[in-house]
Parts: sequence; C-alpha cells; structure tokens
Amino acid sequence: MHPQTHAERAQTSPDEAQLDHAQPGFDSEHGTVQENSRLSRRSLLRGAAGVGAVGLAAAAGAGVATAAARPASQPTMAPATKPVTVAAMPETAMAGPLVVYLRDTTTGEFDVFGGTGQVRIKNPALVSQLLKNVQLAW
Amino acid sequence: MSSHREAPEISKDPVADSTDVYAFVSPDDPSTVTLIANYIPLQGPAGGPNFYAFGDDVLYEIHVDNDADAEPDVTFQFRFQTTFADPDTFLYNTGPILSLSSPNWNNRQTYSVTRVQNGRSDVLGSGLACPPCNIGPLSTPDYPALAQAAVNSLPGGIKVFAGQRAEGFYVDLGAVFDLGDLRPFENLHAQYGMNVFSKAAPGVNATAQLNVHSIAIQVPVSQLLWGSPHDKVTDQGSVIGVWTTASRQTASVWDAAERANCNSGPFHQVSRLANPLVNEVLIPLGSKDRWNTLPPSADKQFADRVTQPELAGLLPALYPGVFPNLAKLVAAGTARADLEAILLTGIPSGIVARFQNYTGPVLADMVRLNTAIAPTAKPNPLGLIGGDPAGFPNGRRVFDDVVTVELRAIAGVTVPLVDKSFTPDAAAGLVTDGLTDASVPSGYLDEFPYLGVPYSGFDTPK
Repeated sequence: MHPQTHAERAQTSPDEAQLDHAQPGFDSEHGTVQENSRLSRRSLLRGAAGVGAVGLAAAAGAGVATAAARPASQPTMAPATKPVTVAAMPETAMAGPLVVYLRDTTTGEFDVFGGTGQVRIKNPALVSQLLKNVQLAW
Repeated sequence: MSSHREAPEISKDPVADSTDVYAFVSPDDPSTVTLIANYIPLQGPAGGPNFYAFGDDVLYEIHVDNDADAEPDVTFQFRFQTTFADPDTFLYNTGPILSLSSPNWNNRQTYSVTRVQNGRSDVLGSGLACPPCNIGPLSTPDYPALAQAAVNSLPGGIKVFAGQRAEGFYVDLGAVFDLGDLRPFENLHAQYGMNVFSKAAPGVNATAQLNVHSIAIQVPVSQLLWGSPHDKVTDQGSVIGVWTTASRQTASVWDAAERANCNSGPFHQVSRLANPLVNEVLIPLGSKDRWNTLPPSADKQFADRVTQPELAGLLPALYPGVFPNLAKLVAAGTARADLEAILLTGIPSGIVARFQNYTGPVLADMVRLNTAIAPTAKPNPLGLIGGDPAGFPNGRRVFDDVVTVELRAIAGVTVPLVDKSFTPDAAAGLVTDGLTDASVPSGYLDEFPYLGVPYSGFDTPK
C-alpha cells in the first residue's frame, strides 16, 4: 500500500469518525480512563492544553489556518513530510480498526497502526485539527 | 528460575513468559534435532475452570542461527486460536475427553506452524490440535494417549507438539531466593548472624508438582544447518544457536463497544530466552525488561554482566571461608573468559578434547548445539562438566542439571579451561542446590516431546 493513499484517506474522514477513534481508550460505563495508559485521556488533554497553540501556529505557517478551523470534510492538509512505513500495512487494514498514537503533540508526528502495519506521519496541521476536535468535547 | 518470572514486566504476562529452552540431538532419532520452548511458568495443575492455554494474541517463535552471526536463519512461528464449543456453560469439559475430537471438550486450542527462511514464509501446518490440560481421572482418563495424539507430523519429516507438560526444570526456588541459601550447605551460610540453620538439609524441588506449556518441534538436522552436511564435530558448520521469543502487537486499546482489546500494529518482542539463568541471574533488575526486547546480536552491551557476574561475588560473602580462591579472583576483577565462552560464544576447539560448539566472536546468548555430537547412551545430567559432551552447555536436554552446572561454573570450576594456573575451591566442584533429575516426580519421556506427562489437577497437590 502506498502510504500517501493512506494519509489521504485518513484526512478525508469526518470529524466524528476521528473522535470515534479516540473513544476506545475511554470507558464510558465507568467514566474513566486507565491512568497507567500512555494514551490516557488526561495526558491527551494536558498535551492539548499545553501545545494547542503550537500546533495552530504550525498550521498557520503552512498557510492553512483557515482550513484548521473548518470541518475536516473541507479541503485537507498534506503531511509535512512523506509518511514512513515502519511496518507494511496491508490494504485490508484500511477497513479498520486503526489505532492512532500521538506520543508528543508538540512534534506533529504520530503513528497509525492497522493490522500488523505501522505508518509514521508528520502532520502538525492535522494534529492541530485533532486537538481542536478534542477541545470540542470539553 | 531458569527464566520463570525473571523480569518485572514479563512476570505480569505469563502467557508470553518463556521459561526454558531445550535443544538436543533426538536420542531416539539422531538424524533430527528437537527444539523446545516452554511458556506459562509455575502452573498449578488444578487451575480451572479456565485451565492454562497459550496466548491467542502472542506470536511465539523458535529461532535458529546456523552461520554464527546471532541472527535467525530459520525461524518457526506458532500462532494459537481458542474456540468454545458451547459458550453457554462454564465448564471446560462437559464429560470425559476421550479423544481430541471429543464433543465433551468445550475450551480448546489449535495452532499453526510457519517456517521463515531466506525471506520466505511457509505455513507448514494449521488447525493443529493442542491437547487439553490434564484435569483428572474423570475428565482426562487417559492423558498420555491424548497427548500422544497431539503429536502432529508436518511435511519434511517434522514433528510438532504444543501443549501442557510437567515442568522438567528442577530447582530449589524457595531456598535460592532466600538470600542465596543452598540447603545442602546452609550450615555454612553466613545467615546474617541469625543462626537459623545448624546443619545441612536436602534440596526441595519447588517445581515438583507444577506444569508448563511446551512448544516442541523435531526437525531433520539437515534442515537446520547451512549448506549441510556438517557431520564432523570440528566443523563449525555443525553448530547451531537457538533461542525463543514471544512478541505482542505494538498497540493495544480496550474497545469498550466490543468489550475486548483491539490489538494492532507490528509485533514487538516482549520475551527472549536461550541459556538458563542469563536474564534471571546475570542481568540486573533495571536492564531485564530491555534485555527481553533485544535480539541476541545485541548482547555485547551486557558482556560485563556475564564475565563479572554478581553471583560470583556473593558466594564468598554468603559462605565465608568456603570460596577463598573465588574471592581472590573476584577481588582481582578478573574477567571470566570461561563464562563468556560457555554462554556467549560457545567453546572453541582445543579447550575440551574432541569438543567445540563455537559460533564465532559475536557475543550472543544462544543455546549452542553441536549437531555432530551423537547422543550418549548413558547421559550425565551434568553434561560437559560431567564428561558428557552431548549435554549442557552443548545444547540442553530436558533432564540436564543446569542449576548445578551454572552454580559450579560461576563458583570457578570452569576457570581452568582458560587459566590453568587457577585452582578452584574444593567447594566449587560440590556446590549444588541438592536436586537431580530424580527430583522430578513425573519423570521424562524417552520419545518426543520428551517432557513428562503433566500433573493432573485431581492428583495435585498430593
């Protein structure tokens, strides 16, 4: 699979779908998230609060500030660099589920896991958009 | 203890926790080599109703290096799948299990075997049945027959078995982990001034009534060697290096809607094992988890932990006056080239008469087996230091007394292999935890898969 294809598809997902991907770590029944998870809701929100402006600035620098404020169904943002295939992702993995791991929101870099594949994407604008979407849940 | 619960992280993940690796020329078929990797340590046989099983989400592998670079040349991969015949009952079985196709058997596993070689993956078998766990006389009335039926033949003359076995590794865990007590010598222990022990005592096999899960595969020697045949003991091409790994997928997220983990991404290694006690005893606590994630080819960074083992310094301290020569060796900071050879490179030609299992200068923890050395008719569980070149550290047989061998080696008995001027302490050749292969109640089998019939839940503990 060409990683660019994957990235393009990911960017055309509606905001709601992206939020759904963020949901599995959140146990709606208990209203909590595993505190020992590096993907915990608390750490994600903390990161969002601390670096949202950085992400937004990166988006503005790329000339897509207005796009970042629009719904994701609008014209999308290209990755800053060519996505890197860490482990080949089979086409069938695109049907999901996919797991997105945003380890450090300041870098704009995140990993997408699907099947036995892993693609590393650097896209500060998309991260900024993601964080803004998270903030909508506050 | 060989590698049971040896590192902080893997101790919380028993299904991925490798416990022992065995590699030996099959005594009943010397044209083959048997490779065994054990997982799921210290199983209480009565642990139902959800008796022990391999992890469906774990990639189990046995690796063979045949060209001395500590990289895998032949890898056998094992993946498991669990099915419930009737999810509406809590029972493991709803009647006696008389065959592997028994409709009474509710919770069963099958598995696939894939060989990876020269960049190519070949599925050698799939849908292969594991036997049930040994429950008792009503549920599994003829367990040996059930287990034998689970020995599967694969193309190329390969045999495979995956399932529960009696723990064949014997060790006095209770004493050893009580500040290095060795019961046969405990009256000589410093005892921290408490004078708890006034006389020696026999060893106690802590694993005597416990089971493990074994993955055993028997492969024609020629399929494991590079450019075979290599049938001369002196031929370095006759030596293979063996280790096992367990891997999990990188991302795991609890899917609240599905009420299950969503595992995704490439597999990453969480457990590694070759020679007994390396990660357990030689690698320090803060490095054990990392060691488990690395390949053997990265072991150079841990070489000082092998050549300057912490235990060699502890023995003279814990047993005052018993190991004076060892104490001097340690105080001098002498690097233990003997231990490096035994555990990290293999023993070169010219050290032990008519023996070598050298794989070259790459420092790597692998079980090294010279496949040109025939099985001995009357094996000595002390292996090479007992004058039996077909045993540990030339590979490892299921009954080898690796605890005693490694204790004596660390105590200095093998130093003269590399330094003729060193005289081992008299105690070095006697030190033991007091157990032998006779300490395993279930015994061993004379045929594949060689490890004994697992203890049944009904009969254990006695």
